[in-house]
Amino acid sequence: MKGAARTIGRDLGRIFQALAGLLFVSILVPLIWGEYYAIPALVVAGLVPFAVGYILTSRFRDAARPGKLHGMIIAALGWFCVAIFGSLPFLLIAWTVELAPPILGEPSQTSTLAAFTNPINAVFESMSGFTGTGLTMTDNEEVLPRTLQWWRSFIEWIGGVGVIVLTTAILARPGSGSLTLYESEARSERIHPSIVSTVQTIWWIFILFTFVSILLLWVVGMPLWGAINHGMTGLATGGFSITDNSIATYDSVAIDFALLPIMLLGSIAFPVHYLILQGDLRNLYSDLQTRWVFIYMGIGTVLLTVLVYVSDTYDSLFTAFRYGSFQFVSAATCAGFQTATDATNVALGRWSAQAQLTVVFGMVVGGAAGSTVGGIKLIRALTLLKGIRFRIADVFYPETAVRRLKINGRRLNEQEIRQEFEEAAIIAALWFLFLGLGTFALLIMLPQGEYTLENVIFEVASAQGNVGLSAGITGPESLPTLGKVMFLFNMWIGRLEIIPVLVTLRAVFDRGGLYR
Amino acid sequence: MTVSDIPIVGDLLESGAEDRVFDSLLLAGPVLILVIAFLGRSTVTVGLAAAYVLFFVAYVLYLGVRR
Repeated sequence: MKGAARTIGRDLGRIFQALAGLLFVSILVPLIWGEYYAIPALVVAGLVPFAVGYILTSRFRDAARPGKLHGMIIAALGWFCVAIFGSLPFLLIAWTVELAPPILGEPSQTSTLAAFTNPINAVFESMSGFTGTGLTMTDNEEVLPRTLQWWRSFIEWIGGVGVIVLTTAILARPGSGSLTLYESEARSERIHPSIVSTVQTIWWIFILFTFVSILLLWVVGMPLWGAINHGMTGLATGGFSITDNSIATYDSVAIDFALLPIMLLGSIAFPVHYLILQGDLRNLYSDLQTRWVFIYMGIGTVLLTVLVYVSDTYDSLFTAFRYGSFQFVSAATCAGFQTATDATNVALGRWSAQAQLTVVFGMVVGGAAGSTVGGIKLIRALTLLKGIRFRIADVFYPETAVRRLKINGRRLNEQEIRQEFEEAAIIAALWFLFLGLGTFALLIMLPQGEYTLENVIFEVASAQGNVGLSAGITGPESLPTLGKVMFLFNMWIGRLEIIPVLVTLRAVFDRGGLYR
Repeated sequence: MTVSDIPIVGDLLESGAEDRVFDSLLLAGPVLILVIAFLGRSTVTVGLAAAYVLFFVAYVLYLGVRR
């Protein structure tokens, strides 16, 4: 285990150093916006992970390559620690403003920013950002310092692709066990034979799409700062906003519809994007997951439109389509932007139970594996459906028949079918288990009668699916501390697809002798 | 010295779809955003941004049709 600790320590150190780099780069934002009081907080917030990272990487420089177990522990601990370190800008800037030292210009405090003087709120925001969830502890994002608006968008943008993917792209070299780490962060697809080249290409695609998204949003009327932030969080399917009522603030049909393709881009796997950028447009329908992204979004949009229209939530079919399409795509791509709010129309939490549960269904399934989305992922849902159909049809064939299952162009034999079906079934079962446990726990924590069952299921599914839509439960005051801790766990396991976190917890408990 | 000799830019150009048009769009994107930040919203800047987005879409379609 000592050797394992060295390997884990070295690779965690690399992740912390990459995080420190993000914090140091972000110092440009307070410089540009004249929020000089935020600079010391960012410097300290960057120095802490840099120092810890430097110590770990130098001390364990010669550690062995990570194996599968190490990879899972590094991914789980890495994401957890990154959320902790990533909370420092929220905490330190909030306290800087709270104490208002004359030397830093005595910036004025707001109740929104003051919420981050509580460490649990700061960690919640950071975990929500890095996991691309988008649930927030802020009451009004508009009054946050630009530095924190940027930091929220930036961590969602980075988290959308992945902290380890970032570290691999910047710090890893071929042959340093990058594949193991890459796979531990819920990714498996390769664009090139080399993992380092693969992650560099993923970033290339992501950066190009980010510029296209920002400029598209600006063209349709969003102010530039909003376009930069929403372009980043929309593509990363994160969903943090810089406005009080998310996208509803703009109340613009053009902006609503411009965000649809941006969120959809984020829900398509990067290897497919690469092929499409090389002119192979057939992948839009020949790739199983991509084809189903469009089918699934189409069916969900129609269903939700019909549900909100017939339940008289909206009085015109176009309005029902506008909000229905946006909210289904936002949920199923796990972006979590909201246009259905009471400020401009009807809040999601007041939609009919059927409509809310349709949105929940979108959040649970998610988009394509290998993209930026959360949820169970389309490929697993399809594997489960095809596997079930295969098993049922099996009864109608003679025992000697040799059957194969075709998934995404691959013909699987019995053993491969069992392996793929088992993996999909385990993750889906764990997903629903934690959804059920979370719903039960939250029902106990919340005041009796204040929220309906569908509200509670909606909120837990949103946290665990890394979506960020809210039925109104999440907030600095409305969600009890225990609920915040539970949601931290839900967001963490949701981003890493549960198993690495359970493996890490087992390793920790096993090592500590808590059970055996 | 060429564009690909510039540290971060060079790495970015090496990582992509090996297509100079996309590479150019990647490099032009932040420049255009800076131009918009300095000049604000005007017919010219909206036209430039719209041309950027439309060109990107048209070029992807062109590659698809050509293939």
